[in-house]
Amino acid sequence: MKKEKSKKYRLFQIGRILSQLAFFSLFLYLLFFTRFTGKDTIGHVEIFFHFDPLLGLTTAIASRIIYAAFWLSLITLSLTLLLGRVFCGWVCPFGAVHQFFSYIFKKTRLHKPKKLGQRGLKVKYFILIIVFIAALLSIDLVGFLDPFSFLYRSFITAIIPWFARINHVLLSFVYQIRLFKLGEYWNQFLASLALNPLFQQGFFLGLLFLLAITLNLVRERFWCRLLCPLGALLALVGRWNFLNLKINEDKCIDCHLCTLQCETQANPYPQKDWDRSECVYCFTCASICPTAAIGFNLASKPQPSPAINLSRRRLIFTSLLAAISAPFFKITPAKRRAASRLIRPPGSLAEPQFLQKCVKCGECMKVCPTNGLQPALSEAGPEGIWTPLFNFRIGYCEYYCSLCSQVCPTGAIKELTIEEKINVRIGTAWVDKSRCIPYVIGSPCIVCEEHCPTSPKAIKLVRTETKKPDGTILTPLAPIIDINQCIGCGICENKCPVVDQPAIFVTSVGESRSQSNRFLLELLPE
Amino acid sequence: MKRREFLANLAIASIFLKSPHWLKGQTQSLPDIAWVEGDDPAALTKKALELLGGMKRFISRGDKVIIKPNIGWDRTPELAACTNPEVVRALVELCFEAGAKEVIVTDNSTNAPQRCFPRSGIEAAARAAGAKVLLPNPYRLKKTAIKGVWLKEWEVFVDFLEVDKIINVPIAKHHSLSRLTLGMKNWLGALGGPRNQLHQKLDEAMVDLAAFFKPVLTVMDAYRILLRNGPQGGRLSDVKLQKMVVAGTDPVAVDSIATTFFDLKPEDLPYLPLAKERGLGEINFERLRLEKRKI
Repeated sequence: MKKEKSKKYRLFQIGRILSQLAFFSLFLYLLFFTRFTGKDTIGHVEIFFHFDPLLGLTTAIASRIIYAAFWLSLITLSLTLLLGRVFCGWVCPFGAVHQFFSYIFKKTRLHKPKKLGQRGLKVKYFILIIVFIAALLSIDLVGFLDPFSFLYRSFITAIIPWFARINHVLLSFVYQIRLFKLGEYWNQFLASLALNPLFQQGFFLGLLFLLAITLNLVRERFWCRLLCPLGALLALVGRWNFLNLKINEDKCIDCHLCTLQCETQANPYPQKDWDRSECVYCFTCASICPTAAIGFNLASKPQPSPAINLSRRRLIFTSLLAAISAPFFKITPAKRRAASRLIRPPGSLAEPQFLQKCVKCGECMKVCPTNGLQPALSEAGPEGIWTPLFNFRIGYCEYYCSLCSQVCPTGAIKELTIEEKINVRIGTAWVDKSRCIPYVIGSPCIVCEEHCPTSPKAIKLVRTETKKPDGTILTPLAPIIDINQCIGCGICENKCPVVDQPAIFVTSVGESRSQSNRFLLELLPE
Repeated sequence: MKRREFLANLAIASIFLKSPHWLKGQTQSLPDIAWVEGDDPAALTKKALELLGGMKRFISRGDKVIIKPNIGWDRTPELAACTNPEVVRALVELCFEAGAKEVIVTDNSTNAPQRCFPRSGIEAAARAAGAKVLLPNPYRLKKTAIKGVWLKEWEVFVDFLEVDKIINVPIAKHHSLSRLTLGMKNWLGALGGPRNQLHQKLDEAMVDLAAFFKPVLTVMDAYRILLRNGPQGGRLSDVKLQKMVVAGTDPVAVDSIATTFFDLKPEDLPYLPLAKERGLGEINFERLRLEKRKI
C-alpha cells in the first residue's frame, strides 16, 4: 500500500498549533496589560476566566451567588457539547504550555511515549468531585488546581519576577559595559510594563509550576490527562459530542503510532477504544498516520464515549473523604478573632464570603501598582492560602486606585469606582511611640504625615515632649493618628524611615467590610 | 493652544529672539525675576521668559537640557500636587526654540512613577512638545559628592550631572515640616536613596542641595497653589487659584516671592535666610531687579 500522510490533517494540526499560540499570546497580552496604563478604569483583562465554566460553577455553588460575567462560559460549554474538548486542545493557554513542553521532551527523547490504556485518567474526576463537594460545603478549593488560576498565579508570582530579575541582571551588565543608550531604552520599556518583582512564596509557587511542567516527562500533557478539574468537567460535558474519529480499516496498518503519539491518552486505535471524552481534537493522530487512515467527521447524532467506571465504592469514598476533610480547611485562629495582618484589598467582601469567591488567581496582585498585594500563607487559614492581602512593607494601597477591584474575575473584590474606594477603610494605622523618631530622639520627621493621602490628613502633627538621654526636654512635632480619617492604606508604614520594623503600622481592625473587627462604637454603620 | 496661535507666537518670538541685543536694548537691565499674573499657565510662562530676555539667555544652541518639575504624586493637575503640565510644555517648547538639542523631563516620584507621570498630565504634555520623558531609572543613580555643609554625599540621578543646563520647575505648596515646599525642596526629586531620612535635618539638606544643583533658571508654577494638606492635598478646597508664574535666575528669590502667596515672609521659612547666608540668593525684594506684569 502506498504510504502517504494526510496533508489535510497536517494543515488542521498546524491550525491547532497556531490557535494555541494565538490564545497563549492573548493570555500574555492581557496579563501584561493588567496594570495602570494612565486611566482609572481597566478593560476586561480578566476575560479568560469568564470562559472557565468550572470557576463559574464552583464559586456559584460555594457562595450561593451566580456571578453574571460567567455567562461567557456557556460558550465554552456549548462548544464542548457539540465538539468535545476542543477548548483543551485549541484554546487553553495552560494546555498550550504543557503541549509545548511535552513536544520538547518528546523531541529530545527525554520522554518516550508508552501505551497506557486508561491508566490514571480517573484521577481528575476524583479531583473534580472533591472540588464540588467542598464547594457545596462553602469551601472554594477550585483555585488551587483550576488551570487558569494555576497559570495566572504562577506567572504573576514567579515567572514575571523571574523575568524582571533576568532583566535586572542583564541591564546591570549593559550599564557596566557603558551601553547607556540601550540601557535607557530598555529600562524605560521595562519601567512602563510596571512589573511587580517581589512576591512572598514566589519561589515556592514557581517550584509548583516547574513541577507541573516536569510532570510532562512522565506523560505527555500529564496535567490535562490526570489532574485538571476543568478538563474533567469538560470531559463529562463533551461525552456525547458530534465530532467523530474514523479509522479507515482498509488503509490502517496496525502500527499503533496514533495511540502512542496521542497527546491525551484517547487511544484512537483500535477505533472502538477511542475515548472522545479524553480527545482534545489536536489532530496529531490524523496528521502522523503514515497511511492517512485516520479522519474526523461530524455525526448527525451525538455519539457516546466509552463508560468511565469510577466504581461506586471509590465514588462514595472520595465524596466522604472530601466531606470529612472539608472542616480542616476552616481551622484557623482567624475564625475566632480577626487576624491583625490580614488586610484585604479595598472592596473585598466580608471574610467568609470573600473566601467562598476568591479563586487565588493573583490578578489583583498583578495589577497592584505598588506590589503591595501578596499571596497569603497562614493568615487566612488553609482555605485562604494564596488569597491576596497587603504587605505594607513591600507596597501600600495607592489612594486613587481601584484597579484590583476591577480585575477580580469572581467578584470576591467588589468593583469600586475611585470615589467609592477612597471611602473604604481596609485597616487602621497605629504609631509605635517606642520607635517613632520624634517620640524617641526628639528630631523632626513627619514622613508619615507628608505621605498620608487623605484630606484632611489622618496623621496630625502635635508638639510632644521628648526626653533626651541627658534629661533635657525637646518638643518636636510628632504624629498622632486621627482614627476617623484613617483608611488604612499603609503608605505611612511603607515610607517610615525606621525601615526594619516601622514605627507606624496598620492592622486590619476597623476595616469597612467587617461587622466584628471593630473597636469604636461610632464607626459602626448607621 | 491653537495651531494658528502657536504659529503666531512662534513668529513673534522668533523675530524677537533673532533681533540683536542692541535692538532689544536691555542687556544691562534684564530683570532677575519675572512675576506674571494671568489666565493661561502656558502664556504666563512664555511671558515670564520673554521678560527675562528670552530663553536664549539661558539655553544655547545644541544644549542638552533637563527640566525638573514636581511629579511627586498620583494626583491630577487640578489638585495642585504636581507642577502644571502646561507650564512644563511651554518650557520644553521654549527650550527647543532656543536651539536645545535635547530636553529631558524627569522626577523621582514619591508615589509609583508609572502612575504619577501620566496622572499629572506632565508625561503627555512634555512628550507632545518633543521632550524625552524619563521614568526614574535606578541604574542611573550614582553616589555623588554633594559637598554640602551637612549633606556630604548622596545618590543622584546622573542625568542631572551630565546635562548642560538645568531648569527647576517647582509648584508652590504647603508642607508640614518646611512649611512650604518650593524650588529648593524640589531637588529631593533628583535624588535616590533613603530620602525620607533627610527630613531630620530638612532645612540644611535643602540648602546644601540648592547649592549643588545650580539651575540656570527657576520657574515657580503658582497657577494653582496648595494651601493645606501639603504636599499632596487631595481636595479642591485645599487649592487656591493664584494664577501666577514667577521665573528667575535667583532660586532663593523665586522661593522668597512664593512665600507671599501664603501670607508668609521669606524669614518665616528657616531655609531661606540660611540660603541667603550661604550666598545662594536674595530674600530682600528691594534688592531684586523685578519685573511684574499682568496679562
